[in-house]
Amino acid sequence: MNVTLNWLKNYIDFELSASELADRLTMLGIEVESVKHPGAELEGVVVGCVNTIKPHPNADKLVLCQVDIGKTEELQIVCGAPNVREGMHAPVATIGATLPIGLTIKRAKLRGETSHGMLCSEKELALSEDAAGLMELSTDIPVGTSLPTALGLDDTVFELEITPNRPDCLSLIGVAREIRAETGNPLKLPHVDFNEDETDIREITSVTIEAPDLCPRYAARVIRGVKVGQSPAWLQQRLESVGIGVINNIVDITNFVLMEYGQPLHAFDCHKLAENRIIVRRATAGENITTLDEMDRELTSDMLVIADAEKPVALAGVMGGYDSEITETTSDVLLESAYFNPSSIRATAKALGMSTEASYRFERGADPGIVLAALNRAAQLITELAGGSTCKGIVDVYPGQQPLTEIQLRPERVNFVLGTEIETVTMVEILKRLGFDVETSGRGQRVTVPTFRSDITREIDLIEEIARVYGYDNIPTTLPKGDIPVPAPNPSAAVRKCIKHSLLAAGMMEAINYSFCDPNCFDKIRLTADDPRREVLKLQNPLSPEMSGLRTTLLPSLLENAQHNRNHQIDTIALFEIGNVFIRKGAEKEPERVTGILAGQVGEGVYSNPYREPDFYDIKGLVERILEVCGIVDYTLEKTDAPTFHPGRNAAVLSNNKRIGIFGEAHPEVLENYDLPYKAYLFDFDMEALTDAAIFAKCFEPISVYPKVERDLAIVVDQAVLSDMPTELIYKTGGELVESVRLFDVYEGEQVPEGKKSLAYAITYHSATETLTDKAVNALHSKVVKHLNQELGAELRM
Amino acid sequence: MKTELHAIQAEALAALKDVKTPDMLESLRITYFGRRGKLTDVMKGMGKLSKAERPEVGKLANEVRTTLTAAFEETTHTLHRQQQEQQLEREAVDITLPGRKPAYGKAHPVMQILERIEAIFRQMGFEIVTGPDVETEYYNFDALNTPADHPARDLHDTFYLTDGHLLRTHTSPVQIRAMENQQPPVRIIVPGKCYRVDYDVSHTPMFHQVEGLLVDTHATFSELKGILTAFARQMFGDQTQMRFRPHFFPFTEPSAEVDISCTVCQGNGCRSCGGSGWIEILGAGAVDPAVFEAVNYDPGEVTGFAFGMGVERIANLQFRIPDIRTFYENDLRFLRQF
Ligand SMILES: [Zn+2]
Repeated sequence: MNVTLNWLKNYIDFELSASELADRLTMLGIEVESVKHPGAELEGVVVGCVNTIKPHPNADKLVLCQVDIGKTEELQIVCGAPNVREGMHAPVATIGATLPIGLTIKRAKLRGETSHGMLCSEKELALSEDAAGLMELSTDIPVGTSLPTALGLDDTVFELEITPNRPDCLSLIGVAREIRAETGNPLKLPHVDFNEDETDIREITSVTIEAPDLCPRYAARVIRGVKVGQSPAWLQQRLESVGIGVINNIVDITNFVLMEYGQPLHAFDCHKLAENRIIVRRATAGENITTLDEMDRELTSDMLVIADAEKPVALAGVMGGYDSEITETTSDVLLESAYFNPSSIRATAKALGMSTEASYRFERGADPGIVLAALNRAAQLITELAGGSTCKGIVDVYPGQQPLTEIQLRPERVNFVLGTEIETVTMVEILKRLGFDVETSGRGQRVTVPTFRSDITREIDLIEEIARVYGYDNIPTTLPKGDIPVPAPNPSAAVRKCIKHSLLAAGMMEAINYSFCDPNCFDKIRLTADDPRREVLKLQNPLSPEMSGLRTTLLPSLLENAQHNRNHQIDTIALFEIGNVFIRKGAEKEPERVTGILAGQVGEGVYSNPYREPDFYDIKGLVERILEVCGIVDYTLEKTDAPTFHPGRNAAVLSNNKRIGIFGEAHPEVLENYDLPYKAYLFDFDMEALTDAAIFAKCFEPISVYPKVERDLAIVVDQAVLSDMPTELIYKTGGELVESVRLFDVYEGEQVPEGKKSLAYAITYHSATETLTDKAVNALHSKVVKHLNQELGAELRM
Repeated sequence: MKTELHAIQAEALAALKDVKTPDMLESLRITYFGRRGKLTDVMKGMGKLSKAERPEVGKLANEVRTTLTAAFEETTHTLHRQQQEQQLEREAVDITLPGRKPAYGKAHPVMQILERIEAIFRQMGFEIVTGPDVETEYYNFDALNTPADHPARDLHDTFYLTDGHLLRTHTSPVQIRAMENQQPPVRIIVPGKCYRVDYDVSHTPMFHQVEGLLVDTHATFSELKGILTAFARQMFGDQTQMRFRPHFFPFTEPSAEVDISCTVCQGNGCRSCGGSGWIEILGAGAVDPAVFEAVNYDPGEVTGFAFGMGVERIANLQFRIPDIRTFYENDLRFLRQF
């Protein structure tokens, strides 16, 4: 909402500058989003009178004007406007002025004649698009007046952000009340005084409220014999200064009072109301109304309408009806001032997709106590500015009158909650300035809440009022005195941290993707039709079809990240994400996963660290690292038929016979689907399963003082023998004297028969209790060789 | 014979000076000390000397032998040193060739900031708890004193699921879940993803928040100011100025928006802060009694305060990324910068 400095000063006196006021309002909780000086752009433009006009000696289309701008000497100004004439008042941009269009005025020679300024059109002043001729100013305005002053632009406009709990601040008087709280200066409310005529309003109209739950109060006045026309300049300027368009004097007055008091009013053409009467009722289902914006609206039975004897004539509290609107031919006006139920207005406006100045205020809560004051103020202005006479009396139907809210305030509670030592007298003074009635009652204060503060219902609401006027800055800054609770152990956080750090240390970059997914992305990673990951939670209001589901796997987004990077010629792709997925299984469940991708190249591509393509064992190494940092040593691998992966190059990791994750090379079709020109390697683990399997407890193992003995062993086995089969057998045969078995070479080809492969192991023998003799090691090594031969058909390779 | 010994010594010492290689040294050694070497020959001739001559000549022979042995040894060392020097010279590398850097990754910039925020609050005794992204209207709104027709709901632009759930618009629902599960004192922070229907250079439909909650028998608004001031000074520097402005949130009262002095202009006013010198970083307030009632805490017995901040917003105070959607493209050129 916009307010202006000059307008505010009509309702309260204060000495604050514009920026001081902006500051104070902000610190009261009314955030000032902008402060503008619309007149500042027109500095140096003044009102001038064209005294005489002479033809230009060298140009047919130009004339020489002698212009009075209130100085001792007239200015000669060259002008080419078609409407220039002697005696007219027009804006003069003086030497040195910079117009809003960017033009700086200098003394200039036009076809040999000097021009000491410029007579301006509205377009040249950026006031309108009108460039046809000079802007005509009223001859009532004295020459020499600065144009911003002449146009009422010499003001400061504040754009305010009013929070939803403060509808009372959606008006000039409301903001003035806040300034009263800050300064203690009294309010200057408009003096409303006008004559009524002899005709009793009840002879002309009546109001019936059939839905008192939705309309607790409805008041009306009738003004007859008005002349609908333009509003006077001051009224137009006021409305335009806060961004409200002018329509006609009657509507402008209702808008002016809306801005002044915050009370939405509506003016009906009295003669267009069937039987000249008002019925406030729920719409009947299927009933229609054409609203002021000429839209035809279908109504439902929970919407409140203002009807005449036959049909709805306004959408209560939202917008008037087209058929009963004020036109140039209107002579008698029925003026509505009412209070509607906020929830009802909100529901109606929402259902119809409408938001108006009226609905905005009613749905936040208007002031039932201001209904008559606003009505009288509007009647007064109409009588003054549009002629006509006001019928005697007001129809005021008020079935929903409520007693004023009273709250018991405990001053010690205020200080307890705020951590302050505010004196009770200070609290009382603050509340009184805000418009509350305060009386000492028992050990506390009895506070009566004015009708415009519907947001105040509890003691805590009063505490907030005291706090904000007292000033948050004046509340001390202290540290909590309370006990520090003991946090519960959080094993999953520990596992997440370990895994993340190990992946970062391994050169993987952390990605974060949106939780949204394209429900069609599962074809791209080749999930089978019955894969549970296809069961996606869907959004009612997605930003786009590609973001209409909640992800069930992180694989597609990481593959998309790889694709994005490839498309930008970045081919060293090593990314991981730790994030939740959304599984539809009974109760809401959002398991966390850790998923990674390795593609393109590894290394730096420099002399010392050349690029190479990653392979299966790179991704396996990452997985082994993850398992290692989680202390998971007891796991097995098995090949899977997971369709996202190369059938011969993937493995699931099993711990306690439960799959905790999978890794391997992406299936070539997956690569194609993501336009990846090279292989990609993926891992995908369930964090909860990792957490369950993780063992962080570590125990010291004595470090042996005895030397170890290393023996190499190269064997030739069938290709079907997996490399860890000999390893396991060596451990089994050697028992605790085998400290480690390291596979250091795998070879197929020349010197190795078809269908066979050579595996070379380094075996470290070692005892914790003695120095192993050569003889003992030889005996053990021979036993190992023998078992390898017997159980795996391994031949020693020489 | 004495003359001969003197001559041998002089000759050998002279010859040693010209030795350039270990091979030359070895052949010289053989020339003098070999089985047929010159010194060996002289020593063999000792037997033919008279008894009277023998001690004197023997002494001299020993002296010559000692001198020459030492000289040979020294030459050996010299040669070795020279050789090593030559080798070291040959082994010199081009120090400008690139090093073999171990690979290392970087945490996502939003996570880096989030982890810093977490660390500061953990140090002040706050426990980290989390909650689900998919929420119910009850936890996201109703229990937070924001009933269905509350105008504050308009500010949220909520994503709804087809099954009636919603994506939480803030991390505040976890306040409720935490209080349902534990008795005071409560001192938690809740990092997590939130969602709003918004997509432009300064909004992403998914973003991160950190919510904080402290409930105790005597938690005051002044302590809220204290905690947040301590946080901001650690996060943004110990010169940071704070401004608490009254505001409105349905689930806190009194409520505040909290500004810090602009990190660019230190409060003098610049483009980043719109000339005001202040930058809004979080919303906060004392827990509304209605929220305590929703979780069956007695608002007469406990008080508390809560606060919430947007991680991307805080991250961008430092990073100044013109389009924050870049955070979630996962472009490696971007991720490597932080
Ligand atoms: Zn700044």
